[in-house]
Amino acid sequence: MNEAIRVEALTKKFGTTTAVDGVSFNVPKGEFFGFLGPNGAGKTTTMRMLATLLRPTSGQAWVNGFEISQNPDGVRRSIGFAMQAVTLDPLATAWENLLLLGVLYGLSRKEAHQRGSELLELMQLTKVADSWIKNYSGGMRRRLDLAAVLMHKPEVLFLDEPTEGLDPAGRRVIWEYLKKLNGSGATIFLTTHYMDEADYLCERISIIDKGKLVVTDSPKRLKEKVGGTLDDVFIHYTGHRIQDEGLNPKAADPYTQMNT
Amino acid sequence: MNKVFRDTYYLFIRGFKQSLRPYIALMPEFAVPIFFFVVNSAGFQRVSDLAEFKNYAGNYLEFYAPVALLMAIFFSTGSAGIEVVTDIANGYMDRLFVSPVHRISIVLGKLLATGARSMIQAAIMLAFVMLIGAPFEAGLLGVPILLALAFIFGMAWSGIGLTLAFLTKNPRIVQSSFVFFIPFSFITTSQLPLPLLSGWYKAAVMINPVTYVLEGMRALMLNGVGPETVGTIAVGFLAAALFGLVTLGAALFAFRRLSA
Ligand SMILES: Nc1ncnc2c1ncn2[C@@H]1O[C@H](COP(=O)(O)OP(=O)(O)O)[C@@H](O)[C@H]1O
Ligand SMILES: [Mg+2]
Repeated sequence: MNEAIRVEALTKKFGTTTAVDGVSFNVPKGEFFGFLGPNGAGKTTTMRMLATLLRPTSGQAWVNGFEISQNPDGVRRSIGFAMQAVTLDPLATAWENLLLLGVLYGLSRKEAHQRGSELLELMQLTKVADSWIKNYSGGMRRRLDLAAVLMHKPEVLFLDEPTEGLDPAGRRVIWEYLKKLNGSGATIFLTTHYMDEADYLCERISIIDKGKLVVTDSPKRLKEKVGGTLDDVFIHYTGHRIQDEGLNPKAADPYTQMNT
Repeated sequence: MNKVFRDTYYLFIRGFKQSLRPYIALMPEFAVPIFFFVVNSAGFQRVSDLAEFKNYAGNYLEFYAPVALLMAIFFSTGSAGIEVVTDIANGYMDRLFVSPVHRISIVLGKLLATGARSMIQAAIMLAFVMLIGAPFEAGLLGVPILLALAFIFGMAWSGIGLTLAFLTKNPRIVQSSFVFFIPFSFITTSQLPLPLLSGWYKAAVMINPVTYVLEGMRALMLNGVGPETVGTIAVGFLAAALFGLVTLGAALFAFRRLSA
């Protein structure tokens, strides 16, 4: 199979909200693919289904050749998923976070150590590697979260707004690294609200709106078609109004944040 | 199978460290049992003048010392649910769920960490009460027996908080589940021996499994291991195991729902 990701009529309903509505697309191996859309369009929900965290209501999808419902473990071994919110253990150090994930993905302790120090260096976190994450700034957490996702050198990388909250220098470092990763064969599936980011990184983008795919093409062709920047393309396909979003009745209790 | 052991081991280490952090949060876990121990053994001292009491212990402090151990276990293991709900709330559980870690390792690692915490807490409390004058008739060989009981009962007790954590994902509900400790520890022979109890209270004490766990600990501390106490100690283990069967069964059931 030459596709890293293949999605067929994928649908997810939450009660009466249809968050993802019969979406189909393919991402060839080695592609840098952008998945754009307004808030509430269904980007995160799509990614969570592809990453085996959510069961689809209907439809099928394959990641790295593994069907997401039939062979979730195959999918899990193949992917790295940097979620929209940072997911680290706040009462552990950067080292502890990275080493644990490394060994859980099957690296030996030595390999995990080596990989961890490379990534800490890359993300410029070596100096603070022995402090608890709860003392980190937002940007530091975001960078470490990316490092954590890269520990096992995943073949397919899902990035849900990975540069949210980073300063321009931080974004640049991440961009260059992602390009390099992609150059060495990793498939990257990226969502972002920064059109310059999508324009710079992605070979092809899809725009999703209200759960449905609207258009898929290269940024260049889309800009030509609409006649403007990628911002113009985005607005052309999704409209000027800030959209009504559904509510999440299962959102966490605000007191949830108390420990972090 | 090998992978399950390995993953469980690493998650056990992580869970154990997590249960000790932040270190300052350990203070109440010692303070509350010590408070009850000091206050009650002073306040109820005259109870030891009662004829029925004399068969049980020389003085009230001795009689009450095992309760301090029990409370230390209640307080140290009750936080397992809070740790898990924090993992769910800050996304760390999702980080584990997208990894190829076997689901059962996540629960087993947590439980073993809780059991280990419980043993350590019981050992520290034992040293403390002995320093103040409580006996430990079971001697050096009795220590592992007591710790084994603490290990089993600690895991069993944590099942309540874990079940609520997996079911509700709500930190405040899980936090307030510590109130279960009130009926389970007060409706026992913690304050007075069984012959001095009466009515519905006595009936309730007799169906509370914690009563038997406490009596097992008390036998080890006040009478040692011998032909007369071996039955009481065995029943203590049995009660802890049965209690665990119920609470951990519920926790596993709730966890399967969450991870499905
Ligand atoms: N767990 C959930 N329960 C109910 N509704 C949800 C849940 N998760 C997402 N939604 C809804 O599904 C829609 C798509 O959300 P999402 O995929 O997060 O969008 P995006 O990532 O594109 O901003 C939104 O209307 C959102 O409110
Ligand atoms: Mg999103």
